[in-house]
Amino acid sequence: MMSQQTPPNLGGKVSRRDFLKLMAAAGTVLTFIPFVDWGKFLPNPTGQVSARAKVELPDGSQANLSSFPVNHSEAVIYPKTDDPALNKEAFRTWQFIRLPEELGGNNNDISSFRMYSMVCLHLWCLWKYWPEPGRKRGECPCHGSLYDPLTGMAFAGPASLQSPPSNVLPMLDLESDQSGAIWIKPPNWSPNGNGVVGFGRYLKE
Amino acid sequence: MVMEWWDLGATLKSENSLVQFCKWVYEGVDRTIFMGMKFTIPSRFVSPLGFLGMLTFVIFIILGITGALLMLWYEPILDRAWDSVERINDTIPFGFHLRNIHYHASNAMVMVALLHMYYQYFSGRYKIRNEILWVTGIILGVLTILEAFTGYDIIFSERAELAISIAASLTNSIPVLGPDMREAFFGGGFSDFILRFYSFHVFWLPIAMLGLMVVHFPRFLVFDVPMVMAFAGAIMITGGVFPVDLGLKFDPNVPPGITVPEWYLTGLYAFLRTMYDKFVTGVLWPGLFIFTLLIIPFVDRYKKFSWKDRPIITAVGITSLAQIIVTTYWGFYIDPDIQKSLLERLVIDPIFFYIVMVLLVPLSFGFTYMMIKLAKNAESKAKAQPKKTTGKGPINLPAKWVYIIFIGLLIFQIYLNISAYYAVLSGMNNFSLFIIGLMMLVFAGMFHIYRHGRAMEKAPPPLPPKPAIQPKAPSPLPQTSRAVYTVEQTVEKPLAPQQEQRARPSLASSQNTKSSSIRSGGQTDSSASREAGTSQEIVSSAEIDDLDKAGNAREG
Repeated sequence: MMSQQTPPNLGGKVSRRDFLKLMAAAGTVLTFIPFVDWGKFLPNPTGQVSARAKVELPDGSQANLSSFPVNHSEAVIYPKTDDPALNKEAFRTWQFIRLPEELGGNNNDISSFRMYSMVCLHLWCLWKYWPEPGRKRGECPCHGSLYDPLTGMAFAGPASLQSPPSNVLPMLDLESDQSGAIWIKPPNWSPNGNGVVGFGRYLKE
Repeated sequence: MVMEWWDLGATLKSENSLVQFCKWVYEGVDRTIFMGMKFTIPSRFVSPLGFLGMLTFVIFIILGITGALLMLWYEPILDRAWDSVERINDTIPFGFHLRNIHYHASNAMVMVALLHMYYQYFSGRYKIRNEILWVTGIILGVLTILEAFTGYDIIFSERAELAISIAASLTNSIPVLGPDMREAFFGGGFSDFILRFYSFHVFWLPIAMLGLMVVHFPRFLVFDVPMVMAFAGAIMITGGVFPVDLGLKFDPNVPPGITVPEWYLTGLYAFLRTMYDKFVTGVLWPGLFIFTLLIIPFVDRYKKFSWKDRPIITAVGITSLAQIIVTTYWGFYIDPDIQKSLLERLVIDPIFFYIVMVLLVPLSFGFTYMMIKLAKNAESKAKAQPKKTTGKGPINLPAKWVYIIFIGLLIFQIYLNISAYYAVLSGMNNFSLFIIGLMMLVFAGMFHIYRHGRAMEKAPPPLPPKPAIQPKAPSPLPQTSRAVYTVEQTVEKPLAPQQEQRARPSLASSQNTKSSSIRSGGQTDSSASREAGTSQEIVSSAEIDDLDKAGNAREG
């Protein structure tokens, strides 16, 4: 009798038995589909911020267009948590810079501000902005990577030798309201968006 | 035989209820998964090359125990990880010992696993349906390195941070999925990294390794107590002589000193230091290397086993070894000229580097060709010349001297115990660790002397010298005890009893010795059953010698 059984794909007909097997397989797959979504358990949800956030300076005040000095920088914690230990973490520290005059820092709008991850793209030391004449750039204390404050691109040192996206600092998008207060727009943590902290960002032309 | 006070085996012959209980348990093992294994405790010295896998497993167990103890004090928390390791090292009693054993055992495990792999590779033991063993072995090797890697990351010293940053950026560099994978597996910052590397280190990777080991274990296993003890002792002695330092606590505001990763990763580090694309150098090249190893048994079509008869495969193996050695050394090397900028000192010129890598290929092939020529030459010369009867003469100690040495070692152990105790009291932790390592070695020696003495006791009296081979020496003892003696004979020098056994494999296999051989534990008929297993697998082949080797290969 086995020899008379129709092969499943002959003439486009599927035997009843094969159809049932197919249904069983489909059922097995369907049973486990809900668990795919459970993968969201893995990434840290504190990194996801859906609303705009204040640029909160170390003294607790919100940064403002009118009061923040030109050619100056502050370290800002973002996204800020309730845990003081976590807030000290390098991955949450950002350098909030008002550009020097020659790079357009005098403009009284959001274009004169930048906010970059302070985690150096080379080996994750914390770089910072140096406003002294002749410097006016981000410098990493560890291996001397230098960053352009205008774009966040490394132009010297080991970070500059890394291939994209690991030569451009992650950057947060900023906006200001009528009162001049500065806000951080919700980020998109991908190399093509705001970048990945410690890894980098593709520079958009 | 007259019982003497030093006849240490004598006490085992009277069976009290405890011994009976142990035997009962041992027989119960028959009903478990272990019944398929043939477990041998060799009764004389065997080359450890044949059971490096078992040694790797023993080191894994050592790591499991010391690691579980370290878990009691280690805290996988961003600002406390390093401090907790410092506390283990400096203040908790014997924390120094456990940490050092854990560290050096991790290095030993990677090293022994590598040796194990190359020994199996060059002796062609992944053949004859051992492909699954080989493939799981390669995966186990990769997991071993990941396990060691995650281990030194969670100390969160400067070097650990460097390692984490490289791991994270390599994951990030994977096209399309990379950043999401990094986010999912490693989390979003240092705090997550430490906690998750910790969970990988103490749970996910070991459990995966244990699962794979179940598949990887061959049916023939050798547990050589003195060799296991010698390895454990060597690990402790290394810990005593080179105690591992803590490194400096990572601070993102302080320039770190120049650090290189652990030796099993400096090869990869050398590639990364060419500053080429991270994905290609850090993910693709190692991936290609692992993939090549995985497919080797399916590429190797030689019918023979010896490295001499498989020139291309041997040459590929030698090439990989040469490249591993060169890149490992290169990864360590940092230009000592401090006048130069750090970047100049660190970056490896990719053109130079890759040219060397390519040049190593013809060099290794030439070297292999030469070695095979030389080996075959030596072989044919040895055949042409009359056989040397002596070779390595066995050391035959008189029984009295065996006991004197034994007692001497025992006294030495007591002395070592006292000095280890005083070393701990006076804070010389590494000295104490060194002495304990020495004690393990002395124990290994004692065990060896002990079994040597027992073997001597059972061995037949020396035969009068005869001109030719004596196929049937008169044996006053039952066959079984002699069979034990032949278990670990290396194949190069088959002794008379082994040939005898070869003549009757069908007999041995028909005895259905499977279950009884487990209980034997190498004491009685393990050799016979081993032979039986071998012959069951490979009855029809003509290449008995090679296959015999292959039979040995499955140990360990």
